Amino acid sequence: MIELDKISGNVIEKLQAAGADKAYCTAATSVTREFNVDGGAFSLMRTLFDNSLSLTGIVGGKKGSVGINRFDDGAVTQAVADCVASASSSEPDSAWDLAPDGETRSFTQGVLEADTDRLFDRTEELMEQIGKKYPKIMVEQLIVSHVRSHSVYRNTNGAFYTKDAGYYNVELMFSAHEGETASSFFGTGVITDNLDRPFMELGSIEKDLADVEKQIHTKLVDGKFTGVMLLPPGCLGSFLGDIADNFASDGPVLEGTSIWKDKLGKQVADPRITISFAPGNQEIVCGQSYTTEGFLAQDFDFIREGQLESFLIGLYVSNKTGVPRAKNDGGSMVMRPGDRSLEEIISSIEKGILVGRFSGGQPSTNGDFSGVAKNSFLIENGKVTHAVSETMISGNLADMLQNVVAISRERVTDGSSVLPYAAFAGITVSGK
Amino acid sequence: MLKDILTKRKKDFAGGVHTELRAQINKTRGVSLLSGSLTTNVRSEVSGVSARVYKNGVCGFSSTAEYDDEAVTAVLSAATDNAVFMDKRAGKKSPPLPDVEAGRTVREFSDNDPVQKEYIEFAGALDAYIEKNCPGLSGRGVSVRADSMEKILCVSQGHDAHVILPRCYVYLRLTADTPAGVPVELFVPVGGKGTFDTVFSDPALLYPQVDALYEKLMQKREGVYPTAGEKTCIISGELTGMLAHEAVGHTVEADLVLGGSVAAHNLGKTVASPLVTMVDFAHTCLGEPTPLPIFADDEGTPAKDAVLIRDGVLTGYMNSRQTAQHFDMEPTGNARAYLFSDEPLIRMRNTAIVPGTSKLEDMIASVEDGYYFIDTNNGQADTTGEFMFGVCMGYEIKNGKLGKALLDTTISGVAFDMLKTVDMVGDTISWSSSGFCGKKQPMPVGLGGPAIRCKITVGGR
Repeated sequence: MIELDKISGNVIEKLQAAGADKAYCTAATSVTREFNVDGGAFSLMRTLFDNSLSLTGIVGGKKGSVGINRFDDGAVTQAVADCVASASSSEPDSAWDLAPDGETRSFTQGVLEADTDRLFDRTEELMEQIGKKYPKIMVEQLIVSHVRSHSVYRNTNGAFYTKDAGYYNVELMFSAHEGETASSFFGTGVITDNLDRPFMELGSIEKDLADVEKQIHTKLVDGKFTGVMLLPPGCLGSFLGDIADNFASDGPVLEGTSIWKDKLGKQVADPRITISFAPGNQEIVCGQSYTTEGFLAQDFDFIREGQLESFLIGLYVSNKTGVPRAKNDGGSMVMRPGDRSLEEIISSIEKGILVGRFSGGQPSTNGDFSGVAKNSFLIENGKVTHAVSETMISGNLADMLQNVVAISRERVTDGSSVLPYAAFAGITVSGK
Repeated sequence: MLKDILTKRKKDFAGGVHTELRAQINKTRGVSLLSGSLTTNVRSEVSGVSARVYKNGVCGFSSTAEYDDEAVTAVLSAATDNAVFMDKRAGKKSPPLPDVEAGRTVREFSDNDPVQKEYIEFAGALDAYIEKNCPGLSGRGVSVRADSMEKILCVSQGHDAHVILPRCYVYLRLTADTPAGVPVELFVPVGGKGTFDTVFSDPALLYPQVDALYEKLMQKREGVYPTAGEKTCIISGELTGMLAHEAVGHTVEADLVLGGSVAAHNLGKTVASPLVTMVDFAHTCLGEPTPLPIFADDEGTPAKDAVLIRDGVLTGYMNSRQTAQHFDMEPTGNARAYLFSDEPLIRMRNTAIVPGTSKLEDMIASVEDGYYFIDTNNGQADTTGEFMFGVCMGYEIKNGKLGKALLDTTISGVAFDMLKTVDMVGDTISWSSSGFCGKKQPMPVGLGGPAIRCKITVGGR
């Protein structure tokens, strides 16, 4: 048994002895057990034993970081020397800092012991169910794994956190085929802490398989129209992630290029929108427990009833800009459900598009986006009519949040997010 | 440098199976300045040993972060156990893998590892130059990143190897506001294979690149949106390389062919204009070293070029030893792993459309009403060959002459349709190799091509 508490303590002592005024480090071990299916057939079983040691020193306001995956004395001594040398070569910046008041805490999350035989059985069962219920689906790759980690975090302000976590992960890539005609590929997955239910029943896996089977034969959109974009939870998560990155993350806030830079506490979205980053949510599996800088992770509202409640920035950017830091490092996105069923929302859309996956360029700094609507269906007169191909969509991320048509009662949890369906007006849809 | 403790362990390989034993170290050095603030200052090293055992059509794999005799014994044992488990539960009774050429590949290399101070000072000098010489910016970024992977490979049959692949890049980003107050930005990577000290000697040598990027950004500030729809366009070599990699290359990776890619039904068929030939080069292209040369892959196959499209006809796939057996093709050394803890996957190496005979100025002059798309900031494609690339720099072409600069847009199409519209192919190849390809694992790859004239769908606004 590797004694991570001793290793991490040794690292902090060495960093201080080498001149670091402030320092933090994480030492971790992990074991991954994984099965792979490729081209529809089992192909590989992997067992991975890994270590990681990340250390950061702040020397006279100068910061340096080193990451290695060894714990032997020679490697640790070299890493400490590299860390301090890197920091010393840097420019001083008083904004680098740590959480002020450390404490001792331990966390245990998820399922620590892997049931490898059961995991194989569930995987085999999923493949059999796909073959029977969705015979047109071709599985490009299925990766299932159990990951167990043991980690220790320490900093020079007294934070000492130990964490044991374990979870099962399912990642499925597939497409549907009929003769030489095929749908676009699609990826779905879940993180779970148990093997009680068939994988087919988790997250949106079954819905995604059923939808993709309907996307083999597509039509081109005729011309161009402005209509409603309906996003399923998975695609909604991607758009919301882009919104967070573009308008609220470290880079745009530090550089002042965010169009929301003066919007804290102000309305940026429809009042029906409340989005949180909530690692403590009961449906989140193995959420974050503490931040890089040593704060205990807390749930927080990013946008509450349309109002911007917090930027998604760490302590450094907070100190640089005077804007309050986020209470966790992000992830675990949870959105408040709406009051209408998915069926009601679809029936209310005169002309629009249900976008299963967005293949687009990086949105512009001002939020303009454009790209291809993949795995998508046209909605006409309240009905989903047919799958589309070679269809571009464009709009603006900030405008989208102001142009909410409806949010569904139904939500999907995949272990790392809890999201509803949401529909937005004012999206340009154009055919070839 | 890694010490070889693997070769002596060949005696421990189990009989009747194919075994690969690999030690590896990946190093990364990174520095980022964001509008003058040093936001990244990090060095990392990840190392260990892994074993993969192939038995009757399935594999067992194991890795550990340690690297000593005990660790080697442990991964050999665990990989064998995993192969036995898979064979019992899901064995395919496949025949043994065909032999490949046996031998040993060793590449001479520099192992220099400059201290972090050198990276920081280099980035700082570039940042200071930008701040002084590029007025009117609303943001700027300078990053230096060096990475390398060193591998020792021992296999039951094939090429043993000891190789290293270092590369280093400077990434420059400039942001400015349009007259309407909308931020626009441009980005350029500069660098190539080799360690930091061999790729970059003096920051002043990069000042012309900064000046050129700034000039383009000032043009883009005044830019216009292109008109949406299908147009005859010239796309630059950088975009042709992206097309070769994303929209065609992935579809002809044999594992994705087995997963149902569009190439499954097109082998031997015309998929492009006769002007188009596309190759995944191993280590040499047109007599010159490729950006990221590969001499043997991580299954012990000596690397050769994989000709994918010849004169418009789809002629082959990229293979592992296992898929080559399935398709009755020759493996060309495409099975590569990113970290010690990664199994080899079919990956591209230096994928390019081969240059033709046209001059760029003649190509532009031949377009009456279209666009010249130059730089891309991202690209995505489907296994159907449908693709979308973000274009962050380009110009109108009116009556054969370049017009106004363009604001950000996208281009899209279906690769095997779009390639059939190619009617001019430039005579100069442009390579880029600064990014990572993503496919379960990241992987450094080279991609290249000449400018081409084609019909393509433009996103407009």
